[in-house]
Amino acid sequence: MHTRFQILILALFSLLLCACRGDEVIYPTIGTHVTDEVRTGGLYVLCEGNMGSNKARLDYINLEKGDYYSNWYGAQNPRQMKELGDVGNDIQQYGGRLYAVINCSHKVEVMDLRARHIGQVDLPNCRYLAFAGDKMYVSAYVGSVADPELLGSVYEVDTATLQVTREVKVGHQPDELCIVDGKLYVCNSGGYLTNRYDSTVSVIDLHAFTEIQKINVGINPTRIRKDNQGHLWVCCQGNYADVKPQVVIIGHRRIETPCANIAIQGATAYIMDHENKRIKAFSTIDFTEQEQPIDISTYENPYALLATADALYITDAKNYVSSGVLHCYSYDGREHWRALTGDIPGHLCRVTGAYDLYPDTTKHDNSHKYISHVYEFVPAPGQFVNELPKYEEGDNAESMCRKCEASIANNAGGLISLGGWGGYITFGFDHAVQNQEGRDLQILGNAFYMSGFTEYGSSEPGIVLVSHDDNANGLPDDAWYELKGCLYDDPATQHNVTRTYTREGDTVHNEFHNHPYYPQWISANSLTFNGALLPPQSVTISGQNVQRILDYGYVDNKPNTDLDGTSFDLSWAVDAAGQPHTLDSIHFVRVYNAVDEVLNVTGELSTEIRGAIDLHTK
Amino acid sequence: MTRKSFYIICLALCANSVFANDNTELDSLLNQFRIEEVEVTARALAKDVIIPQTLKGAELQRLNALSVADALRYFSGVQLKDYGGVGGIKTINVRSMGSQHTAVYYNGVQLGNAQNGQVDLGRFSLDNMEEIQLYNGQKSDIFQSAREFGAAGNVYLTTRKPYFKTGERAHVRAQMRFGSFALANPNVGVDVKLTDALSLTMDAEYVYSNGKYPFRYRRVLPTGETAYDTTAIRQNGDINAVRAELGLHHYYRTTGFWRVHAYNYWSNRGVPGAIVNNVWHNGERLWDRNTFVQAQWQDEWFNRWSTRLLIKYANDYTHYLNYDERLLPSDNEYLQHEVYLSFANKVQLFKWWDVSVAYDYQYNALARENLLLHASPEYFFRHSHWLSAATAFNIQEYLRLQASVLMTAVDKDAPRVTPGVFASFRPYPAIDLSINAFYKQSYRYPTFNDLYYTDLGNADLRPELARQHSVELAYRKSTKAYDLAFSASYYYNRVTDKIIAYPKGQQFRWTMLNLGTVKINGVDAKADMSFFLPMRFVLRTRLNYTYNTAIDVTNPNDTYYGHQIPYIPWHSGSVVVNLDWTSNRGDHYGLNYSFIYVGERYCQQENTVYNYVQPWYTHDLSLYGEWGINRFWLKAYLEINNLLGQDYEVIQNYPMPKQNVRCTLAFRY
Repeated sequence: MHTRFQILILALFSLLLCACRGDEVIYPTIGTHVTDEVRTGGLYVLCEGNMGSNKARLDYINLEKGDYYSNWYGAQNPRQMKELGDVGNDIQQYGGRLYAVINCSHKVEVMDLRARHIGQVDLPNCRYLAFAGDKMYVSAYVGSVADPELLGSVYEVDTATLQVTREVKVGHQPDELCIVDGKLYVCNSGGYLTNRYDSTVSVIDLHAFTEIQKINVGINPTRIRKDNQGHLWVCCQGNYADVKPQVVIIGHRRIETPCANIAIQGATAYIMDHENKRIKAFSTIDFTEQEQPIDISTYENPYALLATADALYITDAKNYVSSGVLHCYSYDGREHWRALTGDIPGHLCRVTGAYDLYPDTTKHDNSHKYISHVYEFVPAPGQFVNELPKYEEGDNAESMCRKCEASIANNAGGLISLGGWGGYITFGFDHAVQNQEGRDLQILGNAFYMSGFTEYGSSEPGIVLVSHDDNANGLPDDAWYELKGCLYDDPATQHNVTRTYTREGDTVHNEFHNHPYYPQWISANSLTFNGALLPPQSVTISGQNVQRILDYGYVDNKPNTDLDGTSFDLSWAVDAAGQPHTLDSIHFVRVYNAVDEVLNVTGELSTEIRGAIDLHTK
Repeated sequence: MTRKSFYIICLALCANSVFANDNTELDSLLNQFRIEEVEVTARALAKDVIIPQTLKGAELQRLNALSVADALRYFSGVQLKDYGGVGGIKTINVRSMGSQHTAVYYNGVQLGNAQNGQVDLGRFSLDNMEEIQLYNGQKSDIFQSAREFGAAGNVYLTTRKPYFKTGERAHVRAQMRFGSFALANPNVGVDVKLTDALSLTMDAEYVYSNGKYPFRYRRVLPTGETAYDTTAIRQNGDINAVRAELGLHHYYRTTGFWRVHAYNYWSNRGVPGAIVNNVWHNGERLWDRNTFVQAQWQDEWFNRWSTRLLIKYANDYTHYLNYDERLLPSDNEYLQHEVYLSFANKVQLFKWWDVSVAYDYQYNALARENLLLHASPEYFFRHSHWLSAATAFNIQEYLRLQASVLMTAVDKDAPRVTPGVFASFRPYPAIDLSINAFYKQSYRYPTFNDLYYTDLGNADLRPELARQHSVELAYRKSTKAYDLAFSASYYYNRVTDKIIAYPKGQQFRWTMLNLGTVKINGVDAKADMSFFLPMRFVLRTRLNYTYNTAIDVTNPNDTYYGHQIPYIPWHSGSVVVNLDWTSNRGDHYGLNYSFIYVGERYCQQENTVYNYVQPWYTHDLSLYGEWGINRFWLKAYLEINNLLGQDYEVIQNYPMPKQNVRCTLAFRY
């Protein structure tokens, strides 16, 4: 009996050991490749999440790469207490910023185009946004002072200071709003007053910020959009009983149709008839219904709709309490791709001007062992600069990084050259590289042994620096640590050397390379580098100019077939003072050319890179 | 098992409390058992068919538990939902079937809430509770009201019954409890022996807590570096509650009794709400009044025909007000009436064959009024009828069988019939080892909210059906040195036509649909052990472990098909260890340690990283002493709950209190 007792106790305790609570880690972003199609810009998906769940989620699709990232905001702003908030209700880009209404968190979240937090505006029960000049207008179900009539308000907010400047009372539960000719039109839904819905659109003079008119449109107006002719289209939901839903084009027409959502593109208004699960198209000129081939009849709950010049994006909110689906169609009715979203994908916002966005802080769903991204490419003037990769008229730093990616990322197998001493490249993986037992990282170059020797060969050593994304912004702007190679403590190695190259150039051109050596895409006329300079290693053996092969710790020093000779241990990291620095993981790798030697025939010694591999990813 | 041997087990179970009172006064024991006897007569026979989980008497009082909900955490196969704090709603699921499949009985009569079908077990104090029992399937006594055959899981709450020793005419209990978060909880109870057969009990309690407990949210980056770390104080979680009860018990002859019980509960509380980004307090208030009066009469004729009559009237009032300036105000009142009548009969045809028939009727009415819109109140009514027939066979000492059929008719819905079959097999009568099994169907009827809630109700709902299959192996052994009870069960449940809220179009308009199928497989294991050590030490341990999967199998096209349903952990369990010492004067001292573990689970249907909820586990410790001088008794308890101050949530965004302390002083005469 006692043994049985002991077994039970043991069983219970072993259960505890394996099932303890750990630190609560912030929700990750998960990247999924959804399409090979290339479009421009990106698309944000604001998923509402259910009330009280705090699951408003901002997802991002990099349309240039066809990658979908869930919880993008969370990854960009890991320090935001309780994440994005409760019930996302609207998202819009205005100028260089992104604004999102988080209804039950009573705030408008203000972000840069990468969705990094800039600030917030606290507004009670806020609903939708409109912009004009330097002002943002926000509809809210309640005013700053409780109103016995339960009227809502529109707040005017200065986008520079993020302070409320004025407030105007409107009707019951104001939803969408729209600005035309200095006037703001607000839908007064009355959505909280079952059987007593509002049916007006308030017109507010933006100059005086007073309500000048109430237009009777139809019961329960929720959405209002302006078309290319200046008409206002209003979606009235009816009373869900005898009064049917309708779309009202103010002053022109009424179209009896269910209208959960509306999107206008060019001269067409697309209306989501969620009851019959159809997308209907109407001309904005004569309001006639047009053929429209997109089929959404298999949707469970059609929800959001966004019409862009080249695509129509439609979401299915499924059962509201599980992942929704975002579909991308072309106007010919063809579905191009779909992606799983968060709960209730309610609001879509196409962004332009956001440069390439990439998550770096967390593990990727389909993470690759090869590098995926080049952040910086700054070669020092050299014979292969402007050639590897090829510079073309109009290229800039950004496009050169993309060319480097095309050449060496994802095991492409190409080669890039860092030019003279100091030139560098910064790259990363789609996840953090963990510092584990043994070597962590392999960096490929084009070194080779001299026939019959392993002590001599073609070695153009580059020094490796690594960095952890401490500020979690996805950019390599954090502290760098050098991975200490075998010559670090050699007295002939000079540390902290600074050198400036000018456009005129002091590099000796050789006969094979008579193009400019100075990187052409860099507008500045001089480039300054700082780093360590290794002692010259060139020797002449049997009449050949070769280099001594270094023991370990340098890029492009040993052949790629020698795993030990081309791989690095993150435990070698030292800080600027040469003290060992412990890194659990790293996000960014920088390699710079650490030698300064020019040979007669083959030109200067220049580190070349063919790619890199995370040795822990299978 | 003979009646005598049952008494001996009973004696062993009560040994502690009896010993404490007075170990020489035999007549007090007899007195006590005389009253027990009435309860026991019907139960003894059936006892083994379904073994309930029980917490009673001193063991119940020693737990670190304030309410019935806290105590139910120590049962296996139970999943508790707790919104935190003294005033937070606490409901239970039995074997993952949904809280509305669990019926709660207060002194034998079901507590109802026709509006939402949920009984907040946090409102029932342990101070006047004598026993809490949980039966899977149903109570295996066929002599019960028809409705009791109807639920999938049954929790029986039995309040303290008066015991008088010879010459005693009255008992008084007075108790004061203080604790963290400004908890103040006085409790007074009086038992009066009016005549030899008639006694009166009164019990009153007040609970106050400001509910201002600190909670902490800390998140780290994947690198382990702190992302944020915030501690705040829970707001609007205050509670003021008064409970008053009155019971009249009359026992006559050796077979019959009647009793009347009146219950009243008032409360005024804040509803603290979810903690979400940018929201640290909510302004909702809730006022409740729950009143009921129930009467029970029971007698037996010719030694073979037992009759029981139950009558109940309940009147529940709820007023919900939202003060929050940031939300649209709301102000709603709900008034419910319930009239319940039950008539049950059992006849012993032969010594080995019993049959029973019972009929129940219930009338529910709900008035709902939106005070803000000045709309006229809406009224909803429901008539329910239950008719049950049951039979029990005993084939010598080896096999006991029970079968029951229940016909339920709610309003105009076509009557539905649900069967239940229960069997208990004892291969070796000399050893207390049994194999118990049952199959049972039960319906959970839609509530008024399901049917008629504004914009949400769906009057065409069918009831939800649960089918339970369960097999149990139980072993029990008692010697002078120890008492041991082990059991393990495997169960397979299938819930179909599950009533769920489903969106209908935009703007968060939901409706209720019979859309959902859940397949539940589980194992419960329990071990209760008491060791009577030298020097009058007693060591008691209670171990519970549950493993269960509750899988959504509604539609293979759903992203959550095959996933564990929300808030059902795979693993859960508890450990209670109690060391008790009795001095030679009869004083008691003891130490109680309890540990509760609830494993990882998901807060939504989809089992994704975004819905993952970490395990939680709390260590609670209590110290107590009990001293007697003549007929006065003084008890002192000191409890430390969540000893290690774990920051956890049972329901996501509803933080639970960190370490907290309670101190109780009780006086008894």
